[in-house]
Amino acid sequence: MHTFSYVKAKSLKEAGDMLAAHADAKLLAGGMTLIPTMKARLAQPSHLIDIAGIAELSGIDVKNGRLTIGAATRHVEVAKSAVVKKAIPTLAYLASQIGDPQVRNRGTIGGSLANNDPAADYPSAALSLNATIVTNKREIAADDFFQGIFTTALGAGEMIVKIVFPIPAKAAYEKFPHPASGFAMAGSFVSQDGKAVRVAITGAGPGVFRWKDAEAALGKKLAAASVENLNVDATDLNEDMHGTKEYRANLAKVMTKRAVAKLAGTAATSKSSGK
Amino acid sequence: MAKVELKINGVQHSYDVEDRTLLVNLIRDHAQLTGTHVGCDTSQCGACTVHMNGVAVKSCTVLAGQADGAEITTIEGMAKNGKLHPVQQAFTECHALQCGFCTPGMIMAVSGFLKDNPKPTDEEIYHGLEGNICRCTGYINIVKAVKQAAKTMSK
Amino acid sequence: MDQHHHSQLFKVGNAQVSRFEDMRLITGNGKYSSDWNAPDQLHACFLRSDRAHARIVSINYDKVSQVKGVVGVYIGADAQAAGYLRSASFLPPTGKGGMKARVPARPCLAIGKVRFVGDPVAMVIAESHLAAQDACELIDVVYEDLPAIVDPEEALKPGAPQLHDDVPGNCPVEAECGNEAATMEAIAKAAHVTKITVDCTRVTASPMEPRAALIEYKAESDSYVVHTPSQGVNMTRKQFATYSNLGEEKFRVEIQDVGGGFGQRSTVYPEYVSMMMAAKALQRPIKWVSTRTECFLTDTHGRANLITATLALDKNAQFTGMRIDWITDQGAYLSPTGPAGHIRNATTCMNGVYKIPALYGHFKVALTSTGWVAAYRGAGRPDIAYAIERAVDAAALELKMDPADLRRRNYVPLNEYPYKSATGSTIEIADLPGLSAKALSLADWPGFEARRAASAKKGKLRGIGMSAVIEPTGAGTYPRDEIEVSVGADGIVTLHTVSHSQGQGHETSFAMVTANALGIPAERVKVRQGDADRSVTMIGNHSGGSRTMVGAGTVCHIAANKLIDAGKSLAAEDLGVEPSQVNYSKGEFSSPHSKQKVTLAQVAAKKKLSVVGEGTFTSTYPNGCHITEVEIDPETGVTDIASYLSVDDCGHIVSHTIVEGQMHGAVVQGLGQVFGEHIVYDKDTGQMITGSFSDYIMPRAGQLKSIQMEEYTTLSKLGPLGIKGMGESGCTASLPALVNAVCNALGVRHLDMPLTPSKVWATIQQTKAQQAKH
Repeated sequence: MHTFSYVKAKSLKEAGDMLAAHADAKLLAGGMTLIPTMKARLAQPSHLIDIAGIAELSGIDVKNGRLTIGAATRHVEVAKSAVVKKAIPTLAYLASQIGDPQVRNRGTIGGSLANNDPAADYPSAALSLNATIVTNKREIAADDFFQGIFTTALGAGEMIVKIVFPIPAKAAYEKFPHPASGFAMAGSFVSQDGKAVRVAITGAGPGVFRWKDAEAALGKKLAAASVENLNVDATDLNEDMHGTKEYRANLAKVMTKRAVAKLAGTAATSKSSGK
Repeated sequence: MAKVELKINGVQHSYDVEDRTLLVNLIRDHAQLTGTHVGCDTSQCGACTVHMNGVAVKSCTVLAGQADGAEITTIEGMAKNGKLHPVQQAFTECHALQCGFCTPGMIMAVSGFLKDNPKPTDEEIYHGLEGNICRCTGYINIVKAVKQAAKTMSK
Repeated sequence: MDQHHHSQLFKVGNAQVSRFEDMRLITGNGKYSSDWNAPDQLHACFLRSDRAHARIVSINYDKVSQVKGVVGVYIGADAQAAGYLRSASFLPPTGKGGMKARVPARPCLAIGKVRFVGDPVAMVIAESHLAAQDACELIDVVYEDLPAIVDPEEALKPGAPQLHDDVPGNCPVEAECGNEAATMEAIAKAAHVTKITVDCTRVTASPMEPRAALIEYKAESDSYVVHTPSQGVNMTRKQFATYSNLGEEKFRVEIQDVGGGFGQRSTVYPEYVSMMMAAKALQRPIKWVSTRTECFLTDTHGRANLITATLALDKNAQFTGMRIDWITDQGAYLSPTGPAGHIRNATTCMNGVYKIPALYGHFKVALTSTGWVAAYRGAGRPDIAYAIERAVDAAALELKMDPADLRRRNYVPLNEYPYKSATGSTIEIADLPGLSAKALSLADWPGFEARRAASAKKGKLRGIGMSAVIEPTGAGTYPRDEIEVSVGADGIVTLHTVSHSQGQGHETSFAMVTANALGIPAERVKVRQGDADRSVTMIGNHSGGSRTMVGAGTVCHIAANKLIDAGKSLAAEDLGVEPSQVNYSKGEFSSPHSKQKVTLAQVAAKKKLSVVGEGTFTSTYPNGCHITEVEIDPETGVTDIASYLSVDDCGHIVSHTIVEGQMHGAVVQGLGQVFGEHIVYDKDTGQMITGSFSDYIMPRAGQLKSIQMEEYTTLSKLGPLGIKGMGESGCTASLPALVNAVCNALGVRHLDMPLTPSKVWATIQQTKAQQAKH
């Protein structure tokens, strides 16, 4: 790691002020991505502003059909939360599938969304559930928030405070983990609210995206068979030694089918595995 | 420089370290507890796993400053009054270690997830071990050891 | 083994352990190389080439002094001045037709040219590791890029870019074995010929302990004390001596725990020798700990062999001859064990478990702009077994025969052992007809089609695969193995050995052999390995090639018996009888002519009771048959291992616990290579694509849920205990068994490793498309 100054922010305001004062500062919550990146000397922030202890960034609660999760809430807290399990059980399940136990004990939802790794799990939930990302400056709809690989709508000095999820009637997430990293090779988050079905695919492309053909078909009939004859356009998907574009397109479809089957309560219980 | 005050295995320590010091370096180089190992740079292998305020974390991915005020337990703090922790006992009885390098991290990870899930199924054990890599054992005996430890601890 | 033996526990203090070394390893008291520190030590960091092949135009390190704590920088010119230019090589000096082997120079820091990504260019020494790292970044190296050459076949072609001026054609040597004319005649006259090319992929050993070293210079004796992971101190000292042109007596190797080896610790690396320069110049100990990224780039890799097998069969499906054409990719330089092990081991067991009257092997060694390659768990044994066993399955498919039946027709029968192979080996003893019959029966081979149908009902593709393998273990590079046994006045028996465990549990198995011979509890035997003072005088092999229990392990028995004889002479005086009238049993000397008894401790309290036992061993031949069934999810291409059975003959077993553990680990290392592990370089740039555990697919918990392990033993007569080495055999057997099973499930003749979900899925799509056409 290069040298930097480590500072703990006590309040949202203090963190915001520090961020504004240092152009090359970065926020540190769990650090599960940032610290390894810095260890590889691929990031060189002047300051790390530790926001993990800020009270305004923590907490999980449900009000008016919306589930609110503070940005600094760790994955393990979401995975274990009785409130989340009752409101959006799939979100708790998704959190339980991120990384590994040690990573879940440190990593935060805000960090995951702000980083917007194209293979991260949370962005699919935020996009499918049409969440609202509340920052220290404004509210951003998930549809506008994710802007491609490691890119979001967050501006300079802006930080995520909390995420507000509308509670769907039903939702399910299925992920095919990368056999080495555990990130999603493809993950599909399917949610239904009223007639509207939203399908968000992570891992397969350069950023999380909605599979609108599937949404339309599932809106007519919520069954795995509805997507059987559809295909995710492979043109812009990721390709590397671990999987071709076509393979990732296939996985996106298979994960969607499995998510729908699970959501419809007909799923096999076995977890998809890249191993 | 950062001043870091923390408890390691019940003993209070205070160190002045560079801000970029990792918790694992504080434990190994400053506190001179070398049972916690470093096996990779990308937070994959889990050899550096310790408990921070009771939960398993990868100490290579935590800054020393983030551990200020924390209570840390390392492998050296697992046996109490000369009596092995049930996970340690199960690891040796089941021959769940060969070279032993991943073992401290494995034991800390396993004792961490058994707190949350005292009676894990096989699938839950595999899921619980996702943060740790072993090269010698093929994991078969590690899984056996987790089951044995769970059994002992639930008695 | 799983079914029949409960693990034996030993008492240490008030704890019960299955191995003596466990007590320190589970409590955090192990001492690995990075745990060694010396007062006043400095830290090294290496600046490495970030390109595959380039001329070094200039190196400017003026800026490093900006970093506080930097005390020195070393570059190729320093390596030149020190003369640290050539690492050891065990390559025989001549190859095919008397061709002289050309071993390229490997300066400890690059001189003039870099030849792979990771090649060390400069070493910075500083008061802290972080300062050394910071300073490395301030060194400016100007390179003139040269073309990368990643593919060994391309590297051997005329006109390929040349890596070393003194190795024309990037080919250090060509070698051959067997009889070409007889083999070609068998192929020409064959009723059926099966030809198959298999890529035994490049992987990395990846022991969990990254490389590390602490090197101290002792001015008073102008010598070095070295702490670094090793498989045996003698081999390490010899290689240090060769690299530095100093005598072996100038090196002491002090080590305790080694965090895995698998062949990767059989090399003295250029970093260590570079550190000698600084330790001497600065008169302070130098410490270096590798990052995992550096491990991926610069640790010796394994396998990397492209093998073509041409198998000739007569009308009765009897094998009449086989030709092996083998290209071994050795990377940019030759490691010490480098191509020698691959060629020797493949030659020794080129017939596999079969009677093949004519054999011919042709080996081409290639250099490429990639990391160097050395022995890796089996070192050529898994590779040749993989080629043979894939060829046999392909032949069975072509002839529409049951692969078990084709094997059965061709096994060397029990009564033909010792079997003299067509490549000159004398294979002592094995009983494959009997052993494989046991395996086939336990695996219910005939009932497979019903299980395949049941899987098909669930929408899964099921396949079955078997392998029948044999390999040489035991022959060493030192004239003998020695073990010193001493008894203290407290009755504690202490062993000294220069073989070094990297996790195999020698402290336990050696104690068990010795205790058994002496009739005392194993708890009373302490094993010391890698003891620096004794390594200067003791002769013995390193732990490699599965040889340690065959060699040093057996010598524990010999030495213990020698100790009893020595004790009898001493006890005779106490008992007032002739030595020939002394009996020994369970730690006590007695005589029918005396009423007295004296214990080992009492004898040792009066006079020094210490002997050195020795033994020389040639190869033993562990063998086995593994059968596995896989189930593939056609939607995702994921392969699940439905069952895995091993029936092995590794002679007499000392510790079932340890043998079982070795088998688990070896089978899973094979599985790792089959399903995911692969070191991949970008073809154009020579950059490594798989340089971290995020990209290199290590086996994980749950991938292989269990192994049904069974024995079928024939004893070796080469040693008094009947042991055959077995640390590598699981790997040798699992590679072909698993690939055979997947190919069987998919109905394809061959598919190269790694069999990733993506590749398996793509194969299923191709098959579907072909079926749709017909």
